[in-house]
Amino acid sequence: MQSGILRPALATYTALFLLFLYGPMIVLAILSFQSIDGGPQFPIRDWSTYWYQHLLGLAESSRVSQLPVGESLVRSMMLAFMTTVVSTILGVMSAEAFRTKFKGSGPAFYLIILGMMVPGVLVGLGMALLSNTLGIGRAWWSTSFVLHVVYTYPFAFLIMLAIFNRFDRTVEEASLSLGVTPAQTFRRVTFPIIFPGVLSAMLFSFTLSYDEFARTLFTAGRDLTLPLSIYGTFSVEIYPNLFAFGVLTTLFSFTLLVIYGLLMKRFTAKASRFSGQEDAA
Amino acid sequence: MLTLSRISRSYGDTVALDGVDFVVPDDTYMSLLGASGSGKTTLLRLIAGFEEPDHGEISIHQTRIDGQAPHLRDIGFVFQNFALFPHLSVADNVAFGLRYRANKALNNDTEIKDRTQEALVLVGLDGFGHRGVSAISGGQRQRVALARTLVCEPRIVLLDEPLGALDANLRARMCDELRAIRQRLGVSFLHVTGSETEALTMGDEVAVLANGRITQSDTPDTLFSQPRTAEAARHMNAWNTFDGTLCDGMSVKGEIAVRFDQMDVSAQGRAPKDHLRVHAQYLTGEFNGPTALSFFRAADGTLLQIIDHLSQPRLPDLIEGQHYDLHFPSNALRQFHGAV
Amino acid sequence: MSAFSTDTLATSAQTAESPALIRERKDRRRALGLLTPGLIWMALFMVLPMVMVVYVSFWTQTTFAVNSELTTASWERFLSSPTYLSAIWTTLRIWLIVLVLTILVGYPVALFIGLFVRNKTIQTALLVACVIPFWTSFLIRVIAWRPMLGTEGAINTILLKLGVISEPLTFLLFSEFSVLVGMTQIYCVFMVGPITFMLGRIDISVIEAARDLGASFGTVFRRIILPLSLPGVMVGSIFVSVMVLGEFATAASLSGRKVNLLGNIIVSQVGSLKWAFAAVAGVVLTIIITAVIALALRLVDLRKEM
Repeated sequence: MQSGILRPALATYTALFLLFLYGPMIVLAILSFQSIDGGPQFPIRDWSTYWYQHLLGLAESSRVSQLPVGESLVRSMMLAFMTTVVSTILGVMSAEAFRTKFKGSGPAFYLIILGMMVPGVLVGLGMALLSNTLGIGRAWWSTSFVLHVVYTYPFAFLIMLAIFNRFDRTVEEASLSLGVTPAQTFRRVTFPIIFPGVLSAMLFSFTLSYDEFARTLFTAGRDLTLPLSIYGTFSVEIYPNLFAFGVLTTLFSFTLLVIYGLLMKRFTAKASRFSGQEDAA
Repeated sequence: MLTLSRISRSYGDTVALDGVDFVVPDDTYMSLLGASGSGKTTLLRLIAGFEEPDHGEISIHQTRIDGQAPHLRDIGFVFQNFALFPHLSVADNVAFGLRYRANKALNNDTEIKDRTQEALVLVGLDGFGHRGVSAISGGQRQRVALARTLVCEPRIVLLDEPLGALDANLRARMCDELRAIRQRLGVSFLHVTGSETEALTMGDEVAVLANGRITQSDTPDTLFSQPRTAEAARHMNAWNTFDGTLCDGMSVKGEIAVRFDQMDVSAQGRAPKDHLRVHAQYLTGEFNGPTALSFFRAADGTLLQIIDHLSQPRLPDLIEGQHYDLHFPSNALRQFHGAV
Repeated sequence: MSAFSTDTLATSAQTAESPALIRERKDRRRALGLLTPGLIWMALFMVLPMVMVVYVSFWTQTTFAVNSELTTASWERFLSSPTYLSAIWTTLRIWLIVLVLTILVGYPVALFIGLFVRNKTIQTALLVACVIPFWTSFLIRVIAWRPMLGTEGAINTILLKLGVISEPLTFLLFSEFSVLVGMTQIYCVFMVGPITFMLGRIDISVIEAARDLGASFGTVFRRIILPLSLPGVMVGSIFVSVMVLGEFATAASLSGRKVNLLGNIIVSQVGSLKWAFAAVAGVVLTIIITAVIALALRLVDLRKEM
């Protein structure tokens, strides 16, 4: 679009915006290499990986206590995994249901979507009150887990809904007309075709749950998840070991993203594996 | 033998099918001709069981199949968009039914391979089995769709505008092949189309679907030369249908039809006395190569067409806007006595 | 009603039933069967807890516990306390400012990505660049503002080195300012995304035609771009609103207890086992969010835009 000064101006603005988005993380990453006697700010006294060693428990005893991330990391991963499985299954089932027109689909849609809109602190409070009243113990694998699903299931549902919107129903009918049962049709035709969507839904569910803490805060009971451990450090003085942790957990998320990308690529490559052979034949 | 009796289907206030009675005999190539929106796809979907009728019965060999789940009906369906499984190779597409069907599924790999190979040879796709379905042309996809259906040996094959997505050259070639393949297998094909040429070329029998009903089902030549209803005549795209009162020289009532090639043109008042006459204004002509079409408008606004073969020209020079007498012998006329 | 009557008909005269109706009912039953687990999950673990919050807000609060004797005492204390009332006001103020900031900061970016970049690859790359920070831990992103804004933080260090200031700016961190900056950065992406999506749908030739006819960019923007992007702004506003209104972590981490949102009230009340109080704050928050979402949904059909 020809608009003189506007285009370069907007481009510059966007660059500044990206700096705004990334700036704090970059500063944090730099400061994570602070030396042992440096604080959580500039200047960098000396470059070192001391705080990474400290985080992993490899550093000799120091004035700063170690971040309690070990066990909570395992819990968070388990929780995210459970949440991923359940919310993806629920999301696929509900989206499949929405392919049929039925009365009350509007309210049902909004009831599901509400799960991603209700603030975590509210459902968290409600769940804590409920479990108190019913005398149920609170734990990350029970009360927190169900709330995580309440949060991630709508995302999975929306992703699957978008996938089914573009889905060509005739391939399923073709399978039925060949004498294949609806169940087998889902397994052999529908599922392989919607699989990229399922993968996206899983990725979303896992990331959201892994990082979720507002819903966990009141419902996790005694055993903390990873975000809760981090949150615990908010009220006290912070040290660069937290920055080191930030860098590592970001790297972990990116690894997840890369795995997703590879799976996706592999899948799409499989779908069009033969396109390349056209020239050969 | 596939029998449909009094089949109706509506969507809200729209009536798609309104009491269809229809028989597809065994070992027959049946064409079903209908304009777009006439409910012809609905009819096929009802037979296949993707949808159910509001009223009526569908049966094969006197056994009712309506109400039965689609995968139990043993009816093949070739889709207009082919509906190939995008994640499978050509061979796996063809083998799909054999492998996964609920009844008589094969689990012997060699047998599946042989049957698949046979089917691919039948449709002329020998050697394409390893390809992906995105790596073949439209005509080849059509053949895969056909092979995939035929390999399961269904009791009848429904084809929903199977040539619609192909270009003209390919369409002509596929026409011949479809007929040949069907003859070799001896299974009935029910081929739905909106093109009268396609329907007449392909069908051993042609049925016309109009206003939610089968208005006529006959051999192609009978249907073409002796349409029993005005609707059937109109679908042949070779008949002028108009109100009988437009005619001079004889009192004719009701809707009548005269073929494009059986009408002649003369200056006003010059028509042979024993012919029936219609006054009309010449609108324009259309040159189609070996034939030429002339368009006229009758007094009540009806559009009339006359076809002239260039090898035997019979029309005088026509001037746009001028009035002429269109005339034809009384034996060229078809009357529809209170028919639908 | 009519569904009920056909149902009774079906049992008495199976054969008279239309196959289409039977199929339709079967499909509907299958759909409901698939949907039921999800709906039950939502009812048990979302609706029921929310009902519980409302219920407990009328319970009697003693020093360290609540009992189910109904009373409006907590409500009266909440609504007569300047601390709590100012929390409502703070929540609304922070929400509105952050909403406006995300629109102001995000719109030009969306305009650039959605409209000015027409190369699909670059467009996707820019969008991914905006989304990537979302993939790092939320709490870490909040914490990352501390070394940025602190008195010995990056910004003060740079400004001091440049000689712009002689004393470190102290209002940067542990103030309302830092909360606003933090929230804007974190939630901006949810505004940029939907607006970009809407702008990307605009047929560029329409704009070019308008410009060829001599319309200034201002006119084109007002007449074409802005109206077409408004649904995106609305969807983004819904996202940002529900997230900001339910916030407490950013304020807890960056405000140095100077900013108390309703979320912070809930957390601190739960911390001191004042469940009934927390519930009252929860109900107030629910009412505010419901009002905001209801208003937004009146302006945009979420189901259509998704």
